[in-house]
Amino acid sequence: MCLSTVYKDRMAPESILMKNVMRIDCKDGCIILTDLMERSVAIEGSLLTANLVDGYVIVEERVPA
Amino acid sequence: MHQDPELTGEHAHEHAHTHTHEHTHDGVTHTHEHTHTHTHTHEHPHDHDHLHDADAPHTHTHDCDHECDGCQAPCEHTPMEELTALMKYMVGHNAAHARELAELAEQLEKAGSHSAYEQVMAAVSDFEKGNMRLSVVLASLDEK
Repeated sequence: MCLSTVYKDRMAPESILMKNVMRIDCKDGCIILTDLMERSVAIEGSLLTANLVDGYVIVEERVPA
Repeated sequence: MHQDPELTGEHAHEHAHTHTHEHTHDGVTHTHEHTHTHTHTHEHPHDHDHLHDADAPHTHTHDCDHECDGCQAPCEHTPMEELTALMKYMVGHNAAHARELAELAEQLEKAGSHSAYEQVMAAVSDFEKGNMRLSVVLASLDEK
């Protein structure tokens, strides 16, 4: 469906991890974001919210102990 | 985005460290604690961009066994290339939405609301006209 904007921890302009995200993969504790230009960003953490109507996703970064 | 040109995964980080040093002054030995910053080089066999605090791009090694084509391939695009890619996506996306709306209209027709069917199909027609205009813009961008 629609491309999404992915935020870290909260939905705020300064928290944007990636725009125009077309794919999200979760593997081994990593969330891998891929945008329309096939660029990838990985963040260690978990998915908090994926709002597919409004096109946003919030992920929570895992802070090392 | 960090992209190692040699694809060796080697890169440098700046770190701050606190050390305790022993000094001798005028025959008296004592220790000082001080902090200094230095840069040293890491080697990573497999890197991804990460965004940490302060939004500083940074890479780490992971044991994740995932596809990494986006990291290994050159990924520098001009703003125009990105805008064209976005336009291409939007035109295709709008066409998909137009089809979905037409299906919705047919369901309204089957549900007995012919008037709603006609209105939605008229909207689909307008939508397709707008998307056709976008297609023309996209074609002109592709020619450049």
